[in-house]
Amino acid sequence: AYKRFSELLPKEERENACSARVPKSQILTLPELRANPFQHRICHVFSTSDDRDDSMSFEDFLDMLSVFSDSATSDIKSHYAFRIFDFDDDGTLDRKDLEQLVNCLTGQGEESRLSSMEMEQLIQNILEESDIDKDGTINLAEFQHVVSRSPDFASSFKIVL
Amino acid sequence: MAAATGSAAARTAKSCKKYRTVKRHTGIYTYQEPPHSNSDDDIGEEKTESQDPERIFQNIQYQKEIMSNIRCRPWPMRQKLRALRQAKEIVLKYEGRLTRTRGYQAAGAELWRKFVRLAYNFVVIFIPWEMRIKKIESHFGSGVASYFIFLRWLFGINIVLTIMTGAFVVLPELLAGAPFGSTVSKTIPKEHIASAQDLDTIWSLGGYLQYSVLFYGYYGRDRKIGKAGYRLPLAYFLVGMAVFAYSFIILLKKMAKNSRMSLASASDENYTFCWRLFCAWDYLIGNPEAAESKAAAIVNSIREAILEEQEKKKSKNLAVTISLRIIANILVLLSLAGSIYIIYFVVDRSQRLERTKKELTLWEKNEVSVVVSLITMIAPSAFELVAALEMYHPRTTLRFQLARVLVLYLGNLYSLIIALLDKVDSMSVTDSDINNNASNSTAFLATKTLSKDNNLSTTIPDVLFKRNGIDTLEGSRAQGLGVPDSLVNNTVSFNHNTQNPQDQCWETYVGQEMLKLSIIDMIFTVASILLIDFFRGLCVRYLSDCWCWDLESKFPEYGEFKIAENVLHLVYNQGMIWMGAFFSPCLPAFNVLKLIGLMYLRSWAVLTCNVPHQQVFRASRSNNFYLAMLLFMLFLCMLPTIFAIARYKPSLSCGPFSGQEKIYDIVSETIQNDFPTWFNTVITYISSPVVVLPALLLLFMLIYYLQSIARSLKFTNNQLRMKIQTERTEDKKKVVQMAVGQNPGGISDDSILSDLVQNSEGTRIQNLDGNDKRPEQETDISHESSVRSSTPRKNGSVLNFESPVSKGTRIQTISQSVPQTVPDVARPVNATPTTSTSLTPAPSVSSVQKPRNDHITNRYPSVVHGSASELCKTKPYTPVTFKKYTEDVHSEPLFRKSIRQVNPDALGAVAPVFVGRRPYATRYFLVNENESRKKSLRSTSRLQRHFRKDDSGDIIELYPRNVRRYVVRTPHQMYSPHPSEDEEDEEELGRECMNRSHRPRSLSDLRPAPRFYIGERSDGHILMSKDLARVHYKSWDDGFELDLDRPPYAYKKVHLNYPEPRVKPKSKQKLEQSLTESDSISIESSSDPQNSSNDQYIQVIHSKEKYPKPGTKVAKKKSKTSVDLNTSEPNELVCSNV
Repeated sequence: AYKRFSELLPKEERENACSARVPKSQILTLPELRANPFQHRICHVFSTSDDRDDSMSFEDFLDMLSVFSDSATSDIKSHYAFRIFDFDDDGTLDRKDLEQLVNCLTGQGEESRLSSMEMEQLIQNILEESDIDKDGTINLAEFQHVVSRSPDFASSFKIVL
Repeated sequence: MAAATGSAAARTAKSCKKYRTVKRHTGIYTYQEPPHSNSDDDIGEEKTESQDPERIFQNIQYQKEIMSNIRCRPWPMRQKLRALRQAKEIVLKYEGRLTRTRGYQAAGAELWRKFVRLAYNFVVIFIPWEMRIKKIESHFGSGVASYFIFLRWLFGINIVLTIMTGAFVVLPELLAGAPFGSTVSKTIPKEHIASAQDLDTIWSLGGYLQYSVLFYGYYGRDRKIGKAGYRLPLAYFLVGMAVFAYSFIILLKKMAKNSRMSLASASDENYTFCWRLFCAWDYLIGNPEAAESKAAAIVNSIREAILEEQEKKKSKNLAVTISLRIIANILVLLSLAGSIYIIYFVVDRSQRLERTKKELTLWEKNEVSVVVSLITMIAPSAFELVAALEMYHPRTTLRFQLARVLVLYLGNLYSLIIALLDKVDSMSVTDSDINNNASNSTAFLATKTLSKDNNLSTTIPDVLFKRNGIDTLEGSRAQGLGVPDSLVNNTVSFNHNTQNPQDQCWETYVGQEMLKLSIIDMIFTVASILLIDFFRGLCVRYLSDCWCWDLESKFPEYGEFKIAENVLHLVYNQGMIWMGAFFSPCLPAFNVLKLIGLMYLRSWAVLTCNVPHQQVFRASRSNNFYLAMLLFMLFLCMLPTIFAIARYKPSLSCGPFSGQEKIYDIVSETIQNDFPTWFNTVITYISSPVVVLPALLLLFMLIYYLQSIARSLKFTNNQLRMKIQTERTEDKKKVVQMAVGQNPGGISDDSILSDLVQNSEGTRIQNLDGNDKRPEQETDISHESSVRSSTPRKNGSVLNFESPVSKGTRIQTISQSVPQTVPDVARPVNATPTTSTSLTPAPSVSSVQKPRNDHITNRYPSVVHGSASELCKTKPYTPVTFKKYTEDVHSEPLFRKSIRQVNPDALGAVAPVFVGRRPYATRYFLVNENESRKKSLRSTSRLQRHFRKDDSGDIIELYPRNVRRYVVRTPHQMYSPHPSEDEEDEEELGRECMNRSHRPRSLSDLRPAPRFYIGERSDGHILMSKDLARVHYKSWDDGFELDLDRPPYAYKKVHLNYPEPRVKPKSKQKLEQSLTESDSISIESSSDPQNSSNDQYIQVIHSKEKYPKPGTKVAKKKSKTSVDLNTSEPNELVCSNV
């Protein structure tokens, strides 16, 4: 991982790779993240950068890999998944978040996008299923409850370098 | 870096370590405090100061716990590292202080851990294809990877099988058996030796290959070989059985493990949409093309789900689809039958060809396996086309497809083996004759009696005539003529006799066919990968630029990697191996090679020129599916082999079992000859029906018993699941109702206001210290309304976030004041039954009712303690109710001790019932209390007492009906505390200046009031409408009265003493009256609310109907105008609510 990380850095910063921060654009060139529709969110969630440019230090990078590793517990995984899906960082998944999430998943293509009616239906169904307290949003507990029931969440929510 | 080889976990851990070392060297890092520092560290710091060794030890344990659990906390890495370092430092610092040995132990443990990690990393290197699979996984997701993992698993099984056969059969035969060419069965017949090395012969597994360890025929029949006396035939038989046994065991083990894993995560399909969305993306996918297809798959699945949801009820023109499906099934059946017939025909034809033709072409030799492979390749595609006709749901289509393909494969294998066995049958007819002949001849040879019987000499020509069907008639005639001569000459006859049976060693023949099939299958697989996937991929990639349409997305596309079909192919392949393993001991070894090749070829193909199948095929679920298919295959493949072993006589002159009646005779023979006699007798006893039948019976009984246990477990499992489900749906219902009650927020606000106004009016009408109270009430109203309006969301969402801290403090304050309030509350209850018995005409009723109240109140707190905590976890709003419970608990500490004992095992499911009852119980006491005090304070007018009668009567009657309508009720309860809290807060704020001792009192007094009017507000009339309203006015007033009156009783003791004497007489009076009239009222009130409880929306209407009745009833009694006034007021109130 260290090697991979330092590869992302420009030459002159190689030697003190631990203190350097890799800008977001560099992180996104990782093949593991390149195809991921949530790449920006992942960067954002794991970045501890002060000036909110989503750059990653080596620690953040490690953090990300450990969350996506095999041995991370599903609790951790679902916790971070929730944060990744929470597009506006307000601690709940509301309709906007879900909509954005669906859009991320379906991609930008014209024919692959869901129509607004489909979207409405989908979000309605999702809320019906998972929103236990019926407040129109999905909070972390609800999310974890749902996701923990899924048989293959833990197996798919991982990244192998 | 070594991490490149390890798994992800090991890698990150390692890199952590490395990182730490780096950090140490450079010394750049100074960890600043993370913004959200965890409390653990602080605790740790605090604890370390103590010198008590026990404490230190505990602290160390604690820190170690932190260290071990640090992985499981969702903190940023920096914080984790910091906490870890801190904990380690503390441990290091203080551990030495305790004992030296402990320190050594710790160091040893650390070393051991490091070693284990190293070893693990080392082991990972030796897991075959780990990196390759990881790479594929990282590109194409876990679905594709599951195929390769399955392949690897099969590979492992085959390795074990190979070792088994190799070590116990092939190697001994090679080392200690008779060398090649030494015996007849190991020499190539003279007429074939010329062509034995031709490629043509080798290709069809003839020639040298036929007479090698590859096949059954090569193995010698000597009972013991070598110096050590290795019993090869026995070993051969046992290994053949062990192959099956091992496969079964390992399969079942794996399946059990898998199913345990899959069962652990509940399998109910409640969250289809959520899973489809939240768990849809496979984060392993790194290949853009794979990502594209994955996205497409996700879109498809989402669309599917939506459509499914929409068309759940709708049914399209069924006739067309049904007819289409019937047609499709017929087509499939036809093709299946066709394929089976073709295989049978081909085998038959090859037999005929073998008989009639001397020289077979390459095609003729291999046509059987080629045809079979072709069918296995083509038919699935045909099935896919057919499946398109059916218009099933894609998932169903996939299942059908898989089932059909499996049936096809099985059919192929079975028809092949049946055809082969048929051939064997025809051989064994001659075999039996030969056997006859040979045994005779050998007998002759042994005894050297050269006497020739006429009948024998006459039979032999016939035998030979039959046997040499391959040869021309003339040849056979010549041979037949030659045989009698050979009988005279030992050597000639021997040579001659053995020559023909060699060709007809049917075990070898079957083994040959299976191996041939396997080879051809491999060739076809390679060819199909190359042609269909690789060249297609090449074409599509490089021609798409200069083609008239987009090749990548339109017609040819890239080859899909169809996981399901490929897995089925693997299963089929393995089935062939199992089928042929007995007859060709090297088949597993060959399969190992084949699987290795397949692994590399497939992974290469997947990485270069395939896209994953668009069909969603879940890895986790499919694992057991694969295994189930494999198990099915294993069982079905074992059957023909076992059948052949049991049914057919082994070939005479070849193989380890030659000369025996049945193959399994070897076991009994060995037991008879080689074991001591006692063992033999034991075996005979064991195998006698005396033992076997009871054993069988026992087994059956055991199976039945286990089955019944399993069934009962399943039943309980289902019940538990049902319980959870009902609870969940109930939660949902409650929440829905809460939301409904909440949504008309504007209305409810209005109603509250009007309620409050009504309150103040009521107070004014009754002229009960109205002037003093009104300002306060109005402030309450204003506060209330402001709170409501300012936080419209509060009711709903704040419920979740209601801090337990405030709960705790409130409980504390209450508990402080409990001595004050409780005697009040409790005493009337305790006192009334005794007194009422003496006074009232219906004392029994009252005494019954009273204890029941007690009982109810006794019980629910225990429920609270039992269930509230667990409810808290699942239902975010329970903290609120819980708080109420606790309050109640605290207000009745007298009962508490008994409460715990009453039913500590109250179930969570029962809880709602009590929840429903609870407020009434408490309210009841409070009302009593208030009224009693009121009476004490004021001379009670007739009117007021009348009200009280109604009140108490109604309230008492409420119990049964609450039980029934708890579902409806609970939302309001959950709902109500909020405003009440708000009010409390306001109240508390407003009375800060007042004596602290009566603030809790006001709490307990006020509690019923807000609860009442909230009950009214959401369904204005549910409670006893006007009666209740009156109660609530009264209590409301009383609350204030008491507040005003309280200062005199500021001291607790005084307070305690005061109410006591007064309460008793008053409660007496009130009760007796209430009981007399409550009966009549109860009929009304219990019937109406039942109706109204059914649906909360109609309740409003009910309330209107309800009003006149009590009103008239009251009027019938010598009620005064003020009563009418009071009754009419609530009516208006409710009307305004509506």
